[in-house]
Amino acid sequence: MSTQSHAQNNPLITRITAYLAAKMPQAVGLALSGVERIAVGWSHETWLFDATWQTAGVRHSQGLCLRRDPGNALLRQLSDLGEQYRVLKALENTALPTPKAFWYESDPAILDAPFLVMEKVPGSCPNPWGREGRAFYQAAATRGVLPKSFTSTLATLHTLDWRAAGLEFLGVPEPGTAFARREIAKWRSLIELSEQPPAPILTDLIGWLEANAPATSRVTLVHGAYRTGNLLIHEERISAVLDWELQVLGDPLYDVAYVLSDLNREGTELLSNLVDRSAFYDDYEAATGYAIDADICRYYNALYAMRSVAFWMSASGLYAAGRSQDLRLARTAWSVPVVLARAARDLGY
Amino acid sequence: MNADDLLRRMAHTLKREIGPAIADEYPKTQAFMAGVVLEKLARQLELAPLHAAAESADIAALLSALGELLAPVVVPAALTVALVALARTRDQTALSGLVGALYETRTALGAELFDCTLGRVRETLRAGIDRQLAYAA
Repeated sequence: MSTQSHAQNNPLITRITAYLAAKMPQAVGLALSGVERIAVGWSHETWLFDATWQTAGVRHSQGLCLRRDPGNALLRQLSDLGEQYRVLKALENTALPTPKAFWYESDPAILDAPFLVMEKVPGSCPNPWGREGRAFYQAAATRGVLPKSFTSTLATLHTLDWRAAGLEFLGVPEPGTAFARREIAKWRSLIELSEQPPAPILTDLIGWLEANAPATSRVTLVHGAYRTGNLLIHEERISAVLDWELQVLGDPLYDVAYVLSDLNREGTELLSNLVDRSAFYDDYEAATGYAIDADICRYYNALYAMRSVAFWMSASGLYAAGRSQDLRLARTAWSVPVVLARAARDLGY
Repeated sequence: MNADDLLRRMAHTLKREIGPAIADEYPKTQAFMAGVVLEKLARQLELAPLHAAAESADIAALLSALGELLAPVVVPAALTVALVALARTRDQTALSGLVGALYETRTALGAELFDCTLGRVRETLRAGIDRQLAYAA
């Protein structure tokens, strides 16, 4: 039995069909096809399918994506599909390419867990950690169109009017060091939820981050994980920015530091396996008018080390507590020292 | 057979025989990942006695060095408590507590002594993380 036919016969699909039919009472003969559960990320279940129906004798078709929160996501309580829905709705009328969000349901009675239904945007999302994905991005880097789109889309994200879009609900940081401190507090809370004792180097890293928090000179929408693998690509351009789990209002250099980070490239000097560093600096600064401050980016890089450790401690903690049986999570216990060793080097030892 | 040898052989079976025989992607990945976990565990177990001895020696040397560094000054109470805890338990939790206490008492220590003390602690932390990399990386 193929994965697809298995998914097609899944009782969950019957329930999704019934849900959609209830949401579209005018639709006649609603049916789902091409159902597949895609294995991306460690957070939410993601289902893709095409819905077809008729109204007044006219046939309609809509590609849809359903994300369901199984309750044992890597980010635990910090991941909120309801917030993702609000963000996507707010971004619909901006220049940023994002999927259109249709419905969000928090009631677990419907599909056993909260879920979000959004548009299935045309495009593909090659995995930058796999051999085929790396080859795809290397080839695209040579052609040069996609790297430009990568940078210009980030510039669009950082220059959109978030107040006009209604994104203030994400929390506007006070001037000064509040943004960095809020991030530190957030990842510290995830570490505490893992119920594992902090390693001494992590304590050092957090102490250093608190003592050196930079002041934020401007506040923009920040994606929080802007890299290849979280971006849908269609015809050599970014067709949608995905994975709205870590977004905040804060310093745009937080995203820039993520792009510049060694964490997001493997065996190549190209940022995110795709973009030439020098070209990224030139194009980003020209498009946004923001100067890239290397010291602040180094600080945020250290903050990302703390975040990575928080992720891995959360993941291995979920396995240790019996809340997940996924051995990929158990394996992350050994990722913690690897990240901490790198953080120690960044701190000078 | 040693425990680490047994785990290593089980890992080999999972990665080379069981995993490749599974068609579905998710259980195949789980079999491979079980092999990876067992490999790391085997190496960790193998090195554990050596690492425990090295860690114990490192912490003893650290306590001695900090005793000399801090002898001329009045040590802030929070730092004293952390040093006593480390001398008693000699474990990673107490070492973490010492680092936290250093940052907490940074102003009282003054920049120079703080940097010097933290620098010495970091020598111990680096040695410890390098040992962990021997099985984690």
